[in-house]
Amino acid sequence: MTRLAAASRTLWLGRLTTLLAALFTLDARALSWQEHDYLQSRVASGELPPINQRLPDKPLQDPLHGKTLGQPGGTLNLLMGKAKDTRQLVVYGYARLVGFNEELLLQADLLADYQVEQGRIFTLTLRPGHRWSDGHPFTSEDFRYYWEDVLNNKALSPFGIPNQLLVDGQPPQFEVLGPYQVRYSWDRPNPDFLLALAGPRPLYIYAPAHYLKQFHQRYADPQRLVQLVEQAKTKRKEWTALHHRMFHPYRFDNPDLPTLQPWLPTTAPPSERFVFERNPFYHRVDPQGYQLPYIDRIIINIASSKLVAAKTGSGESDLQGRYLEMSNYTFLREGAQRNAIDVRLWRTSRGSRVAIYPNLNATDPVWGPLLRDVRFRRALSLAVNRHEINQVIYFGLALEGADTLLPESPLYKPEYRSAWARFDLKHANRLLDELGLTRKDSRGIRLLPDGRPMEIIIQSAGESTEETDVLALVHDSWLEAGVKLHVKPTEREVFRNRVFSGDALMSVWTGLPNAIASADMTPAQLAPTDQQQLQWPMWGNYYQTGAGEAPSLPAVQQLMTLNQRWRDATNMAERRDVWQQMLTISSDQVFVIGTVARVLQPIVVRKGLNNVPEEGLWNWEPNAYFGVYRPDRFWLDADLREAE
Amino acid sequence: MARYILNRILLMIPTLIFISFVVFVIIQLPPGDYLESYISELQSHGESIDMAEIERLRAQYGLDQPFLLQYVTWASGMLVGDFGYSFEYGLPVTDVVGDRLFLTVIISIFTIIFTWMIAFPIGMYTATHQYSWGDYGLTLLGFLGLATPNFLLALVMLYFANVTFGTSIGGLMDAEYINQPWSWGKVVSVLEHLWIPVVVIGTSGTAAMIRRLRANLLDELDKPYVTTGRAKGVPPFKLLVKYPLRVSLNFFVADIGSMLPSIISGAEIVAVVLSLPTTGPILIAALQSQDMYLAGSFLMFLALLTVIGVLISDLALALLDPRIRLQGEGAR
Repeated sequence: MTRLAAASRTLWLGRLTTLLAALFTLDARALSWQEHDYLQSRVASGELPPINQRLPDKPLQDPLHGKTLGQPGGTLNLLMGKAKDTRQLVVYGYARLVGFNEELLLQADLLADYQVEQGRIFTLTLRPGHRWSDGHPFTSEDFRYYWEDVLNNKALSPFGIPNQLLVDGQPPQFEVLGPYQVRYSWDRPNPDFLLALAGPRPLYIYAPAHYLKQFHQRYADPQRLVQLVEQAKTKRKEWTALHHRMFHPYRFDNPDLPTLQPWLPTTAPPSERFVFERNPFYHRVDPQGYQLPYIDRIIINIASSKLVAAKTGSGESDLQGRYLEMSNYTFLREGAQRNAIDVRLWRTSRGSRVAIYPNLNATDPVWGPLLRDVRFRRALSLAVNRHEINQVIYFGLALEGADTLLPESPLYKPEYRSAWARFDLKHANRLLDELGLTRKDSRGIRLLPDGRPMEIIIQSAGESTEETDVLALVHDSWLEAGVKLHVKPTEREVFRNRVFSGDALMSVWTGLPNAIASADMTPAQLAPTDQQQLQWPMWGNYYQTGAGEAPSLPAVQQLMTLNQRWRDATNMAERRDVWQQMLTISSDQVFVIGTVARVLQPIVVRKGLNNVPEEGLWNWEPNAYFGVYRPDRFWLDADLREAE
Repeated sequence: MARYILNRILLMIPTLIFISFVVFVIIQLPPGDYLESYISELQSHGESIDMAEIERLRAQYGLDQPFLLQYVTWASGMLVGDFGYSFEYGLPVTDVVGDRLFLTVIISIFTIIFTWMIAFPIGMYTATHQYSWGDYGLTLLGFLGLATPNFLLALVMLYFANVTFGTSIGGLMDAEYINQPWSWGKVVSVLEHLWIPVVVIGTSGTAAMIRRLRANLLDELDKPYVTTGRAKGVPPFKLLVKYPLRVSLNFFVADIGSMLPSIISGAEIVAVVLSLPTTGPILIAALQSQDMYLAGSFLMFLALLTVIGVLISDLALALLDPRIRLQGEGAR
């Protein structure tokens, strides 16, 4: 069926429903949707259907609690460092099947509704009448296509189904319950599923089937497909490469790919400037009957990342957080006096800005057992002067303590943060003496049992002077405890390999990724679940692949059991209990040595851009940077809208 | 002569093959590959990584193939005009470089003209007025230009251009003209932005050229033929331009060899600082992210231009200066 025929049919249906609604005044609101000036001409020319046929039958009515009602229109300019950063608009746009709200609670977003039974059966209900950005209906066929023809197609997905969709290595059972309902069910609970759907880089379980079928061997006309593959700008001339090229929902660089995000790309790379414009079929509306987003266009200008702060200070960005750092703050404030920008300070939400990771998998025969001894880790943590670090490097604005949750988290307890985190050299020295490390050399540095001095080399990825500054202060206080520290900056790749192989004794990186977790977020970051966890890379690898060494420390084994218990838990109370136990173990065992947290992040906002919170959290997960604050609600004052 | 040219051209083939191999080896030398640096980049912004996608990309990009196979595929592709595939942009290399080449050539040509316009009069003046106040003053200025790091000068000028004239920082045109067809407004915008890179890149080149022109001219000015000319009553300016200047231009012709590739590559560091839409930043970014085919093809292109440039300047020198031509033939 051609698009025109489909449009005219929906037009007819639309008229019928409008008529019925008018007759019975069942839904007076359906008549009050307001058309946008930006789209007026395209609607008038018949290119787009009118507003009430573009919205789902039941659009998501955003109550805009605590926000101001906006006026649509205008353009927002952003700066990015690389053409690939266009993916940030998927993060900022934050249209997800389910997504977090500002209180970090999960809510249906693209979905009309979702049901979870026993934590393992997920029934997802779509919004009838919801459309892709090209006007084609968004239905269960899009889920079926992605499940059957993409994920379960050996050629397209040679590495099989993504991890978040596997429970004990088993894929879900997928059912289509109707044109607007699908179901995923596992034998055991899958607590990751909804979180993955709500992620800043979401797990995709649907795809615009009507668009992609032309690139799929099973559906496409073979001759035409051969032709398309031939012309495709891909490395390998195969239909799978073409399909991947066209379906990059996260890269967001194919203007032809239908999307559900608030803004859609209109510029094909390569370019120095990417224009995104409003999705005429977006599913959210405000209380006045305006379809969101308020802002018509977003323009991303690419500048070298080192220049972003300078350009932002001179007023060339309307909303900027990426590539800005605390060290740019004074410059930005100076710029705010000359240009109409406002500099705000948001909080970051890592467990620790700079954290030291003792490598429990270190292979050195003397150091290894020492690092696995909790007394040694506690002593090192006690010998860090966090107050000094805070005052010297962070203007005293950061929060001192261990690498654990922040007070913003509902699971937070002050004792987690203070555990082994006060500066107490006497206690530290006593613990080290207890370990039998009493012999010292002429410099006052303790000697290992085999006679080597205790000089620890801390591997660093070597890209921020901040790390080096913090470590310089740690160096001084550790020396008081008779331990000497050396920092060795290496190239990232080498850095990771040395940690993974156990050659590195310690490494430095940022702390806990999500320190504002609630009980329904996964505690996997506290247990060995990933090779990237620098304190136990081998055990993480064991969890992921089953290869190598299993965790030998009882406390770590306990963390793994608890993590599994959380995954199997079906009620909130049990999850909360598991979280608390895991937090208690981690802070008592000091697997990571934290320094300071909640370092501030400058956010620059154009004066006259409304609904951007004064204070907020700046992080990848779960906030998706600006995502959970819903940039589709941001709006510009009249003079900025007309400046076009 | 024809045989000489033929020989030189034939010699270029093994040279280029050798260069291509060295280039490829050096690009591959740092540990890891493009995907590793891609992972690191995601990590540094705290983003999550889809390992299955990484594995898929590795297979698709052929990064799991042995080194020699990768090299042969790339090198043989170049012979038929296929310069490989940029991982970073997800596009063939020619598509990535294409648009930027034009702006790079514009900047370079303007810079060269700027350099000549300043350097020639000053060079001639300082040589003819050796050890005068003017000579000292201009020499001081020249040395300042030579000694100031380009990127620093670029930053300072950016700041003042922005504060005083309100020019947008970096780039080569106001944002609204990017991706737009050429119009009068766009040309004006480009010219408004062009002077900063031209002056910045030009200053060091100018200073160097002033010094060399001055030195070469000084060598010639005391020679007997100049004295003879002067004694015969040739007007001083005509005398200067017609004889010593021509002779002292040899160094200038010899420079063509290095000028050709620099027209294409632009001044990389300055271009990065100024965020110019030229080829320089692409090359640097490609080397950093180990986008090997993009970097490799680009370096090969520069190598080709250098080789051709050297040939041209050799031929031009022989054509211009009978001494070089005759000595060369005499030696053979």
